[in-house]
Amino acid sequence: MTSPAEFVQPPRLARWLVALFNSAGKADSIAGDLQEEFSQLTSSSGLASARSWYWRQAIKTAPHLAAMDFREAPWSTAAAILGGFLLCRFVYWLPNQLLGALTDKYLTYWSTHFKAYMLLATDGMFIAHLLASLLVGSIVAFAAKGREMIATSILGLILVALGLVASIIWLVRTGDLWMSLLLCADALAMVVGGMLLRMHRAHAAESIAKS
Amino acid sequence: MADRGYLGEFEHLVILALLRLEDRAYGVTVRQEIESRTKRDVSIGAVYATLERLEAKGYVASRRGEPTPERGGRSKRLFRVTARGLAAVNRTQRALQSMTADLDLIGSYS
Repeated sequence: MTSPAEFVQPPRLARWLVALFNSAGKADSIAGDLQEEFSQLTSSSGLASARSWYWRQAIKTAPHLAAMDFREAPWSTAAAILGGFLLCRFVYWLPNQLLGALTDKYLTYWSTHFKAYMLLATDGMFIAHLLASLLVGSIVAFAAKGREMIATSILGLILVALGLVASIIWLVRTGDLWMSLLLCADALAMVVGGMLLRMHRAHAAESIAKS
Repeated sequence: MADRGYLGEFEHLVILALLRLEDRAYGVTVRQEIESRTKRDVSIGAVYATLERLEAKGYVASRRGEPTPERGGRSKRLFRVTARGLAAVNRTQRALQSMTADLDLIGSYS
């Protein structure tokens, strides 16, 4: 007979976190090990304790999985990160150019609708930057096949580190926190781009395995 | 060229766990063996990261087990120590014994 503990699933979000960093070759064994111990703990210590154990394991395991991915192919991952970094320069330049072109072309319109222009130049540019970061994250993840999360996370961290220096200078000069918020949002959008591609690939692999 | 490598601290613990567990060594049992004997909190990620590193060095070999229902239909990855791994653990043990010989660790440093 099957015990009720076998039907209890670990926390969905924690499982998702492990799956996000768990590459195809190791996915079965690690997810299976965590599931097995979770079932054991549910029977012996109760569901709450087992859930808390699973969360702790997921949080501690994700960085190890990311590091393992990097060690497996350090050069190709580093190349994807470097490519992404160079791509940032071009992709972030595009919205500024677009804004410049729009300003020039519709100068008379903007002069009568100054609020609309300000909205485009602030919120519009912010959204354009986020979309550009999402695109860069997806491209980096595409290039770093199987190592999407480590590649986009490292690129995001590099941007945050560089941005931190720039925002300290900016903060000292202007007292404005806007720039640091913008850079953190860009880095986060990049990781989300990697995450989306990773999830898409995982679903595709699952569908192929099922069929 | 002969391998003269030594094991790191956690690598040493993992290989000793594999030797103790013999043919029952996989992620869950290795993690539990280290945790129960050393009383330290060990994550499954740390165990796998070390096992992968040891496998890359040729100290450990792995094979897939059968999928089981309590693992949600997923298979185990069973590990064993290779002859090269056994030589490395012996070398590390001898180095440790040589370094700790004649030291009254409990009396003088506890």
